[in-house]
Amino acid sequence: MTPGAAIAPAVRLTRVKKSYRVGETMVRALRGISLDVAAGELVALTGPSGSGKSTLLNLCGLIDAPDEGAREIAGVPIAGCSEIQLTRLRREKVGFVFQSFNLVPVMSVYDNVEYPLLLLGSAKAERRTRVEEALARVGLGALTGRLPDTLSGGQRQRVAIARALVKSPTLVIADEPTGNLDSATAAQIIELLRELAHERGAAAVVATHDERMTRYCDRVLRLVDGEMR
Amino acid sequence: MKWLLFAWKNVLRNRRRSLTALAITAVSAAAILVSSGFALFAYESLREISARDTGHVILAERDYFEGDEDVPMQHGLAGAPALAKELAALPGVRAVLPRVQFSGLISNGDKSAVFIGSGVLPELDFRVRGPQMRFLGGEPLSAGTDVPEIVMGGELAKLLRAKPGSSLTLLATTTEGSLNAVDVVVRGLITVGVSEIDKRLVLTDIAAVQKLLLTDKVSTLSVYLRETGATDAFAARTRAERPQLAVRTWLDLAFFYQAVRALYNRLFGVLGFIMMVIVLFAMTNTLAMAVAERTREIGTLRAIGASPAGIVRNFVLEGVLIGGAGTLAGMALAGAAIVFLIFAGIQMPPPPGRSVGYPLQVVFSAWLYAATGLGVIAVSALAACLVSAKAARKPITEALAHV
Repeated sequence: MTPGAAIAPAVRLTRVKKSYRVGETMVRALRGISLDVAAGELVALTGPSGSGKSTLLNLCGLIDAPDEGAREIAGVPIAGCSEIQLTRLRREKVGFVFQSFNLVPVMSVYDNVEYPLLLLGSAKAERRTRVEEALARVGLGALTGRLPDTLSGGQRQRVAIARALVKSPTLVIADEPTGNLDSATAAQIIELLRELAHERGAAAVVATHDERMTRYCDRVLRLVDGEMR
Repeated sequence: MKWLLFAWKNVLRNRRRSLTALAITAVSAAAILVSSGFALFAYESLREISARDTGHVILAERDYFEGDEDVPMQHGLAGAPALAKELAALPGVRAVLPRVQFSGLISNGDKSAVFIGSGVLPELDFRVRGPQMRFLGGEPLSAGTDVPEIVMGGELAKLLRAKPGSSLTLLATTTEGSLNAVDVVVRGLITVGVSEIDKRLVLTDIAAVQKLLLTDKVSTLSVYLRETGATDAFAARTRAERPQLAVRTWLDLAFFYQAVRALYNRLFGVLGFIMMVIVLFAMTNTLAMAVAERTREIGTLRAIGASPAGIVRNFVLEGVLIGGAGTLAGMALAGAAIVFLIFAGIQMPPPPGRSVGYPLQVVFSAWLYAATGLGVIAVSALAACLVSAKAARKPITEALAHV
């Protein structure tokens, strides 16, 4: 890289707007949000229910499209991307952690974590190395053959984090990742997420209701009625 | 391989539902295989009967098959013995049999009836016709007897109150247009399984018929080949080498075989189509429930980078696994049915127009099994495509919010 050259943020939103129709009513979920998240940065999105946190995460994670505004992932403009290109971008650059873990119940812990690498077409040896390393890093190296239903909530969320980070994404999207966990486990999970994001240089955007979680984050953004406060 | 493993795990996710779809597929595949195997058995049997009756390739004078005759043997074939000798020397030829077709009246002195007869070579004709002709009494014709012998249809014999050893008289028109008669002795009674033929049929020595009709011609030369499959090639070569003759194959003259084949093709074709529709419905139902239950999972996989085509592929693999397993089970069922029928010896009732039944048998055909297997698997894959394509293209946010 040329010394002094500007590093593109992991994700950049510029004046994005999003509205939904609920019955006869048009709900303005986001009202012109702009946001830059740098690589390795952990950003918390807080705000009451219906404030637009999930909508913002969906736009960052490329699983929804804004009505207006521009988006970039790692400097790549998203406007005009086809569905195939968006799928490829998500596959290569975005990891997801969901509140309900969203693991595939018939797949073992190992298979769940391996899945994103299968989608990337990684070689078998490389997959094995990366999956074992990711599971060891989240402290589940001994549980690779277990099915998700046999794990505790905290363990399942660790699997989900390993699945999100195994492909070394540019951006990790986590929607209420501690919402289904007790306080102690929630603290462990958010700390793990922060450590891994920093280690791997991945930007992480975490939506949370839990104000206690925000102390682990590098930056806290508060959304109210679709606007940043 | 990994995708197939995941598909297998998903198939096992709801075992009862998968087993139901598998069972429906198995029964449908077995029904297709058994019914089609029965049709193939019927085709093979009728082909054999037709070929044994007429010969594989039939040679005659040029106008024999199309032109009407003003007098008997007007379109008869001259020089038949030499031609038969030439043909018999060709490779792949088992026998060459001259035949004279004639008709007239047959009488016991008190009562007369119309007959349709064939003059045949006594020592060979009965051998090549084989089991198609069933003896009800008496013996096959013997050659060189002082008084000509006949073998007649059982129902004609009943009409004339004849039995083996009875004396009858044949009355026919000669090639010159006059009437001629010959006394004959009944040697045997037969049935060909068709009542209308059994009421008219008379077989006798070809020499006696030629004497009766005052001719040395024959109606046809029937060439029997060692392999039925060689028929077309032999006929084509004969046509090329002997353009002055009319050459027909057994299939050209097998009107009953062709009618049955056309009927069965339609009948079992419709049955197969219905079975495939049942497989399609069963598979669609099973996979539609799986897709509905796993909509949220589909959303998750799409979010982490699975393409819609990848999602559809996963369900197609599940459909193929259920369809494939169902096909294998169906093949095993059909195989068991074949073995059972071999040992059970079940007889089918006589078909319309026939007087004897036939054994219910099912033929094994590798081609049929392969085609059925591929068909069922293709239908299963199609069902999976139909039900998963829409879910795979559902907006990810909607899929993730699915409860």
